[in-house]
Order: sequence, then C-alpha cells, then structure tokens
Amino acid sequence: MVKRRDFIKWAGASGIGFAAGAFDMLAMAEETSAAFVPVIPTNTGIKGNVVVIGGGMAGATAAKYLRYWGGTGVTVTLIERDATYASNIMSNLVLNGSRTMSSLQYGYGKLASSYGVKIVKGDVVAIDPVGRSVTLGSGTRYAYDRLVIAPGVDFDVLPGLETATAQAKVPHAWKAGPQTTTLRNMITAMPTNGSGVFVMTIPAKPYRCPPGPYERACVVADWLKRNRPGSKVIVLDANPEIIAEKHSFEEGFALHGIEYRPNTTVLSVDASTMTLDTNNGKVPGAVLNVIPPHRAGKVITANGLADADGKWTSVDVLSYEAKLAPGIHVIGDASATTQPKAGHIANQEAKVCADAILRMFSGRALDQAPVTNSACYSPITFETASWLTVTFAYDPVSKTMLPVPASAGEASARSKDNFEEMNKWFTALMGDTFA
Amino acid sequence: MKQGKIMRALVLALAVSPAFAQTTTTAPPSGRLLASNCFQCHGTNGSGGLERLAGESVSEIYNELKEMQRKSPPKMMDMHARGYTDAQIRLIADYLSKQR
Ligand SMILES: Cc1cc2nc3c(=O)[nH]c(=O)nc-3n(C[C@H](O)[C@H](O)[C@H](O)COP(=O)(O)OP(=O)(O)OC[C@H]3O[C@@H](n4cnc5c(N)ncnc54)[C@H](O)[C@@H]3O)c2cc1C
Repeated sequence: MVKRRDFIKWAGASGIGFAAGAFDMLAMAEETSAAFVPVIPTNTGIKGNVVVIGGGMAGATAAKYLRYWGGTGVTVTLIERDATYASNIMSNLVLNGSRTMSSLQYGYGKLASSYGVKIVKGDVVAIDPVGRSVTLGSGTRYAYDRLVIAPGVDFDVLPGLETATAQAKVPHAWKAGPQTTTLRNMITAMPTNGSGVFVMTIPAKPYRCPPGPYERACVVADWLKRNRPGSKVIVLDANPEIIAEKHSFEEGFALHGIEYRPNTTVLSVDASTMTLDTNNGKVPGAVLNVIPPHRAGKVITANGLADADGKWTSVDVLSYEAKLAPGIHVIGDASATTQPKAGHIANQEAKVCADAILRMFSGRALDQAPVTNSACYSPITFETASWLTVTFAYDPVSKTMLPVPASAGEASARSKDNFEEMNKWFTALMGDTFA
Repeated sequence: MKQGKIMRALVLALAVSPAFAQTTTTAPPSGRLLASNCFQCHGTNGSGGLERLAGESVSEIYNELKEMQRKSPPKMMDMHARGYTDAQIRLIADYLSKQR
C-alpha cells in the first residue's frame, strides 16, 4: 500500500496539488506500474566471465544481478533451452480457469536489453569442470571462469509411466507447460453427474514447493464443488502428514471435503485401467495426477555432480559453490540445502551466489552472514489465500542456513486480502527475476 | 565409477587453479545483499511492488520494521521483520534510504 507520506513526496516533486481523489489514482498507478529502470554501473573494476545454465527463477536472477551489481566488466551468458519461461508459480490457478498459461510466460528480452546478459537458446549436455567449458547439444562450446547451474528438477519415471502415451494419460503438471493444460482439460471433462474422482499423489520430501500439492488439491476441489458437485478429491501423500501450512490446509481440506491419506506411496501406475497401485492398496480415479519423486535436472545427474543422495548437489551456502566442484555454483531446486525448493527463495539464493562470485572475482572475502527468505501465498479457494514465511540465517557452526524461529509462521486464516496481496507479490517477484 | 573419476579430477583442478588476484575494485555497499531480501516483494532496489521503499529515510524504515517485529497477530511482513537482528535492520534501512 502507498502511504500518505509517499504521496506527499510524490505530489510535491511533481508539483501537483493535494486532492483526496488523486491519492487513490496515484496509489493504483504505483502498484500496477512498478517500472524499474536499472542503471548498470559501466565499470566496477570487476572482471570475469560467467556462464549460467537455466533461465528459471534462480538462473535468471543470478544473470541479472551479476551484471547489475558487477557492471560491464562481467560477461554473463545465460543458456536456456526454451524461448520463454513458463512460471510454475500460479500455475495451479490455470487448473480452475482463473489464469491462462499464456499469462504465465516470461521472456528474456529485458535481461538482454536492460542488463546486457547474452542470451543463448540451447540445451547444455556436457560440462568440462577442468577445462572450464560447457557444451550444447548442437556442439557449440562456451568457456567460463565460473559456472552457475540452475536447471530445476527432473522427475523419476514410475513403473507404468515409461511411455509418452501413459504420461499423457497421467500427467504430473509439476512443470508448468503443456501438461498443465492437459490436466485442466481432464478436470473440465469430469462427469457433470458428480461421479468423478480426482486422485493426486505427493512424493516424499524433498520436492519443489512444499505447500504446492496441498494448494492444488484445494483449488481443484473448490472448482469441482462449484462446477461438478458431488465429485471427490483424494490426496495420497507419501509423507506422514501435511508438510507445510498444516493449519491452513487442514481447514481447506475440511472446507472442501478432501479425503487425505498420509503414508501412501505410489508403487506403480496402470494408465489403461486408470488405477494406482500403492502400499495401501489400489486406487482408481477418473483423473490421476501423479507427482513423481524429483531429482536435480539432468545436466547435474549426467555430469557427475549429484553427490547428495545421488540426486542433488551439495553446496557451500556462503557462495553456492559445489562442495566437490570448484568453480561450479548450483542454485535453486537442484542444490541440497536446508532451505525449501521454491521460487521465491531460489531468487534470493541467486543473489547470494551473484554477490559471492563478484567478491571472488575481486579477491574479497565472502559475506559471512547471508540471509535468505521464503515467502509463499497459497490459494485455498478461487478468491482466498493463506501464506507461509520464514527467514534463514547462516549458522557458522553447522555451516548451514538455519530458520530464524521467530520469523517462521503461517496465516491465521485464509482471506481475500491475502489473495490480492498474492497477486502483487507474484508480479513483484517475477519483475525482480526477469526485468 | 564415472562420478568418482570426475570428483578426483575436480580436486586436482582445485589444487592447480590460480588464486584470484586482488584488484582495485570498491567493496560492495554493506547492506546491499541483506536488503535484496526485500526486492522479491518491493521490486529491485525497493522500487515498488507491494510498497516502494527506495529513498525513504533511515528512521522511517528502521522504525517501521521495529514496529512490525512487535505487531500481533502478525501479518506476513510482520513475521518476516522478525527474521532480522537490530544491526541487520539498521544496515537494510541505510541501504534502502540511499536508493532512488
Ligand atoms: C504448481 C507449482 C506451484 C509453485 N508455487 C510456488 C510458489 O507459490 N512460491 C514459490 O516460491 N515457489 C513455487 N513453486 C516452486 C518453484 O516453481 C520452483 O522452486 C522454482 O521454479 C525453482 O527455480 P529453479 O530456477 O531452480 O528452476 P526452474 O524455475 O524450473 O528453472 C529451470 C530452468 O532451467 C532450464 N534448463 C534445465 N536444464 C537445462 C539445460 N541442460 N540447458 C539449458 N536450460 C536448461 C529449464 O528449461 C528451466 O527454464 C511452485 C512449483 C509448482 C510446480
């Protein structure tokens, strides 16, 4: 919200008189525009050549801040396989028809034009950590002084989901894109007589966006209640209990009549009979939304960088440099840290990483007390949301990011105000990442 | 095993990689990295988003954050403010007050 003193400052600067009506108008203009015009320092004296793999929440932020803070002496090449980024955040709201996939696309034009990031469309297949270069599928090589890898996650292939046909019938939609639209279409195709059952499954942690699956269950159940009354939503959770925003989601599940079965792991999927086999028996459904266990993106696992559980990269959280791979930094979902795998905090990890790389380039000591924060709004119905937040601070004893207990909490109740705030938060977060 | 081989190569690479030379760069402003925690909701450099912060006075930002730390029941930002020490809040306020 715009405070009165801001308005007075603004009005004074622009020489316009004070009028009560104008206050609201200006307040709106400021909230919706937020046009940030960056000034890139021409030369900070810092020199270096960084390649960033993956232009998602973590990689795009890192590329931007390396230039914004580092200046023109720092060459930054961002390699991304897709022409535009489809935001996972808010993609659950495509499932109830309140957002479209096209409204969730973010391009790389601003990173290039405002910050001078070199954008390369390509898929990195190989990394040479000794010779310090990466190679694209096309064979082109890019040399680096420091490499940032931010490829997000890949999904395990569950028994029964090996073929493209089976995957099309049982989508995860846990990477926003065509599968999100497929799942939306499956939901709207559920029988109008209310006989349909929507079954979704949640993998054991860590997976990306801890509250995300519970949020999805609420949003889908809310839509079905109003549009396909009588339909049922069943949530099969491999975890022993709701792992994030427990209070909000317990209320949400009660509100929507969602059936919740903890400690339930999918063993295999039969896409032809639309039935899941679990450790707690067989579960059929009209729609099956199976979210498989995750691992870091393939560029990590295929290049010998997955030293944590064979799935993720362990990093020093002062710099996000891989513990076993000097010169290579891993940020976002792909690294193994005490922080959640989420977009808001991936953006902050990227800033810590960018700051550290710039210090390394200029021979300075790293910041010994980094702070990161996670913040998340979760829609519970089409018009209300809850929230969750926590700040992490570096602990020199355990050398990990530890939650600051006083800063950890969730909304006491879902509300329309939270829903409105969520939209502003999302716009600001994507702006800080891509513009 | 492939992984073991790569790891060994990397450890070797570490041993021979040159140390970074000290250059004549200016130190990053203190408070910048801390204050960048605000940018996800308040825009890059506090330029807007939920509320513009850039260019507010040090005391405005400091006092507001201290007030939020005590607010009950806490809204999201009140909760978030509780994540910083007094010294950190001073650094954040100082940095944001200098942004335009
Ligand atoms: C339904 C859903 C809702 C969510 N809601 C929230 C939320 O409300 N708040 C929140 O904070 N988080 C949320 N998340 C989590 C968030 O989306 C992720 O944690 C975040 O995107 C992680 O950022 P990242 O940069 O690590 O990966 P990503 O954002 O996935 O980006 C990875 C990028 O790397 C590219 N890439 C991968 N490999 C290569 C390669 N070899 N070569 C070139 N490019 C490559 C990919 O194309 C992609 O663009 C949600 C997730 C989902 C699925």
